[in-house]
Amino acid sequence: MGIGAPVRRVEDRRFLEGKGQYLADLDIPGTVDLAFLRSPVAHARLKGVEIPEQYRGQVFLARDIDFVKPIVAVGKAPGFKYSEYPPLARDKLRFVGEMVAMCIARGRAAAEDIAQACVLDFEELPAVWDMEVALRDGAPLVHDDWTDNRFVTTEIKAGDLEAVKAAAAVRVEKSLRMGRHVGVSMETRGVLAHYDNRLGELVVWSSTQFPHVIRTVLAQSLGISESALRVVAPDVGGGFGPKNNFQPEELAVAALAMKIGRPVRWIEDRREHFIASPHAREHRYKLVAYADKAGRILGIEAEVMVDAGAYSVWPWTAAMEAGMAAGIMTGPYDIPVYHGRAITVCTNKAPLGPYRGVGRTGACFAIETLIDAVARAVGRDPQEVRIANMVQPSAMPYRSVTGKLYDSGDYPECARRAIAAIEPEKVRARQQRGEPDGRLIGFGVASYTEQSAHGTAEWVARGLPVVFGYEPALARFTPDGKLILFVGIQNHGQGLETTLAQVAHQELGLPVSDVIVRHGDSSTSPYGMGTFASRSMTMAGGAVSRACATLAEKMKRIGAHLLQAPPGEVRLADGKVWFGEQSVGFAEIAEAAYLHPERLPTGEEPALEANAVYEPGRSTGAFSYATHACTVAVDPGTGVVEVLDYVVCHDCGTIVNPMIVEAQVVGGVAQGLGTALYEEIPYDENGQPLASTFLDYRIPGPTEVPDVRVLHMETPSPHTRFGIKGMGEGGAIAPPAAVVNAINDALRPLGAEINVTPVTPERVLEAIAAAGAAR
Amino acid sequence: MKPAPFSYVRPASLEEAVRVLAAGGGAARPLAGGQSLVPMLNLRLAPAEQVVDLTRIEALRRVEDRGTSVFYGALTPHAAFEDGKVPDASNGLMRHVAERFAFRAVRNRGTIGGAIALADPAADWLPTVIALGARLHVAGPEGERIIPAEEFVLGPYFTALGEGEILVGVEVPKLAASARWGYSKVTTKVGEYAESMAIAVVDRARRSARIVLGAADGAPIVLADLAARLLDGARPEDLAAAIRAELVASERDFAPAKLVMHTTTIVRAARDAVS
Amino acid sequence: MKVPVSLTVNGERVAAEIEPRTHLGDFLRDHLRLTATHLGCEHGVCGACTVLVNGEPVRACITLAVSIDGAEVKTLEGLQGEALMETLKAAFHEKHGLQCGFCTPGMLISAWDLLKRRRDLDERAVRVAMSGNLCRCTGYQGIVRSIMAAAEKVGAAAPSTIKEPLR
Repeated sequence: MGIGAPVRRVEDRRFLEGKGQYLADLDIPGTVDLAFLRSPVAHARLKGVEIPEQYRGQVFLARDIDFVKPIVAVGKAPGFKYSEYPPLARDKLRFVGEMVAMCIARGRAAAEDIAQACVLDFEELPAVWDMEVALRDGAPLVHDDWTDNRFVTTEIKAGDLEAVKAAAAVRVEKSLRMGRHVGVSMETRGVLAHYDNRLGELVVWSSTQFPHVIRTVLAQSLGISESALRVVAPDVGGGFGPKNNFQPEELAVAALAMKIGRPVRWIEDRREHFIASPHAREHRYKLVAYADKAGRILGIEAEVMVDAGAYSVWPWTAAMEAGMAAGIMTGPYDIPVYHGRAITVCTNKAPLGPYRGVGRTGACFAIETLIDAVARAVGRDPQEVRIANMVQPSAMPYRSVTGKLYDSGDYPECARRAIAAIEPEKVRARQQRGEPDGRLIGFGVASYTEQSAHGTAEWVARGLPVVFGYEPALARFTPDGKLILFVGIQNHGQGLETTLAQVAHQELGLPVSDVIVRHGDSSTSPYGMGTFASRSMTMAGGAVSRACATLAEKMKRIGAHLLQAPPGEVRLADGKVWFGEQSVGFAEIAEAAYLHPERLPTGEEPALEANAVYEPGRSTGAFSYATHACTVAVDPGTGVVEVLDYVVCHDCGTIVNPMIVEAQVVGGVAQGLGTALYEEIPYDENGQPLASTFLDYRIPGPTEVPDVRVLHMETPSPHTRFGIKGMGEGGAIAPPAAVVNAINDALRPLGAEINVTPVTPERVLEAIAAAGAAR
Repeated sequence: MKPAPFSYVRPASLEEAVRVLAAGGGAARPLAGGQSLVPMLNLRLAPAEQVVDLTRIEALRRVEDRGTSVFYGALTPHAAFEDGKVPDASNGLMRHVAERFAFRAVRNRGTIGGAIALADPAADWLPTVIALGARLHVAGPEGERIIPAEEFVLGPYFTALGEGEILVGVEVPKLAASARWGYSKVTTKVGEYAESMAIAVVDRARRSARIVLGAADGAPIVLADLAARLLDGARPEDLAAAIRAELVASERDFAPAKLVMHTTTIVRAARDAVS
Repeated sequence: MKVPVSLTVNGERVAAEIEPRTHLGDFLRDHLRLTATHLGCEHGVCGACTVLVNGEPVRACITLAVSIDGAEVKTLEGLQGEALMETLKAAFHEKHGLQCGFCTPGMLISAWDLLKRRRDLDERAVRVAMSGNLCRCTGYQGIVRSIMAAAEKVGAAAPSTIKEPLR
């Protein structure tokens, strides 16, 4: 049941019985429902809101909550432009879906009636609907006091590029685009705020990944003390990043509950989620690789441009996506020279925030398709070139050209295993034969490193308002001998109620079923940072381990005393302290510790609880890595791509629960296949989002995700407790690169090439037509 | 995402339904299975002052084998075709189609009549019944009339139904045993609306052929020229250029990629219907 | 404005006066406090709200409660203890068929219907049949394995199957 065991999840039961308690399931008496009146236009001057007479008192505007501070997230990079994101628009509308008014009623339907009856008075302005439009001379400005529509441009210059240019035998260029995304947790966002009059505190329930941090920023924004504010994340139906921001809706709903003194709830509907939740991705790349004639890459020049939408999200800032993409560009490769530029553009679209893979999905798409292009340019097999360019295991720990410290692992071996599993020789034979149905077969590979569980040094370097450097745990036995772990992470599908119990088992030897994990409530758990950035298992696992180790010592001391044994000669197993064949159960020890201090050894403090705070040994992150390999079939007549086979070989250090790890990988791959083939929220020239339902924004279903094969390697990190590395995001990083490489392998006989995701049937057919025309 | 308020009536007879719908004008909306209407109501995309629930009208549930044809009442759910619970007039085509659109829970409630009357350009039943040469039975203030399926749709979500008229059922002439059909559909995902869909019904022995393109950004397109060439013995694989020309002549202004995709599905449907 | 509706929900007769616009999902959740039925999209695509109406799965979010007046409705709560459903739940637990749990009630109801109706299930058939239920966490692998495991147990799997991957 300890570390490494495929323990079945303890949290399953409530979900299988339909007893999970998600935000919309809360039942607070007297709650009114809130519907936001949102901007129907991308860019306009807001002149007023006409509220029908009968709805006065049920509609609230920015001026009604003028005591709140706007959301401000300014990066520390020089030149980062300041913007304020007001929870309700004041004088300007900057994206379709921006909130203008709050309408409350009994029942959501009636609240929507009010929103529909209100009339917005505005003067429309030309929409900055695309990043290239945004950067044109004379483009309209999203923020009037800015000089242009750039949030910030940052540069990395490592090594002598001129020397590389002179020495390189080949120069390969590539331009790439990755579409704009939405997170699409199956449970949408939501907020419920009410007063607890007995405690004199405002209680804000939010479907969030980091309730403690939300309490901090919400208190600051509302102008109240954190001691008068409780933030609770109940069961959260998926997060994936979009629930890892300070949401303007959280601020607006909390402010309204403060103002009117009644419970107020807002449940995001799916259309709001599509148009107004924090978006993701939307990258454009200009890449140049310089290589020798064997395909060894000598240097890379990269420009990453990201459309961050209208506002900078808190705490990440608008610059995170482009900055991370540019910063991790060289991935698992030993590339000595790198010049990167990250441009973050402001447009009239929903703000961009973190989403599983943050930046790296784009960077991997860039470097991995570039590797294949280099291989083609030198006439070698892409997989040979890929492996030849990798950081060798003997070079570990390795400092990358962008300054990242890769802690451990064998990248080439990982690639070899994934490639072998996809059986390239069989694919090549199939390509030679041709398919009976006329489809074209191809296979593709992509590798990446995933910086996980990064701590103080990394977040300080990024200059964020909060430095997510640690996690706490409070481990407390009950007087009847069960263990409750109070942790600051937030479990929303990752199985942490099980895996943290496994860590407790590892230290204390008690059954996992005797361990309860409490999280998500700022009033019950120690202050923690939440669940994101592939950090919780490493960080909270470390904290739980430490707290439980302290308790283990105390259990042994008390147990030895009760057994009249020498303290150094007892051991813990099966929920008991053992001395030879004699044992005393945890219940008996807990009873002594809490209810009968007279039974304790002299000098032993009563009670059985321990607090611990954990920081990894090195705070620059533990680097997981993987290679994905897949086979696809492309129908040249319809443009439809089918993924026939998908293999992941990955190394996330010590595996706590292989069942859960494998499922996290597969779930990530499914999302990455969405990025690769299906998901996009395009905008038209008026700044209108063209996907606002599941009919036009398609996420993969059971038939779109193959039975993914996952191969594990286990190289423990030298820097973390147990050697655990984070792995929650990884699955979503490589699929666009692997799938596009496979598609391009399939399309080679036609001379066609894809450089954009998602690879829709239309885009395949267009690429084939373009290749035909070029011949 | 909740509907705007509307009133609700549940007529017990066809006559009453016709009366209520006629009185309601455009603001009254007939409800069958609701699998398209209710989402549109939820999204507030389909304003309705009154919803007229047709589901209790027994006359719309009738399914009859009429010897040379089968009459399917408008309220026959898709799942009844999928499960083979209704007599087949189509040598299995209708079952094949019904198994391949939307999802089981939707097919349980959605109805053939509702789908046809909505005239969603990307939906499946319309091109199917056009390919089968079906007759649509309609009741209205002026009594009953029959509309040939290919004349029923005038444009996207726009049909020949007049004010107060209700689609009562679909009469599908039975295919001869010698008739063959082909079906080719492109969706980006299983169960989604079609990107392209072609259905071919060919009976060379009786010199009858009908090839229909659905998901054609408007009414389904009947490819008469292709039908004639097939009956003259041409191989569909050799007709791509002709099909493309026929599609261009339809003046639908298809994007080049769409033209390729449509041509492909048409060739494949025709190939399966003659092979 | 309000209209009467009467349904049998999980074996109990319920009667209420509701606005005609109330969909079955809201009726179950708001009027009866049966919150196992989740609303994930409210336009009939995601499948989280799937419940049984007269024994057949339907989307509660696009079914007007009033339009099924007189019907028998079963939600996940009402299938507690039912043999096939318990087999499915055990399989979902054993094969890791859920992560955040939000799609799970709809998955279970759709799978329950599938195992009732079919005796020819293989992996591909399960995937196609479950294509109306979206999950964002699992990548469906655990779900499909869970349903296949339950299918084998209750004799709904095709004899020739199984353990063969989709490829």
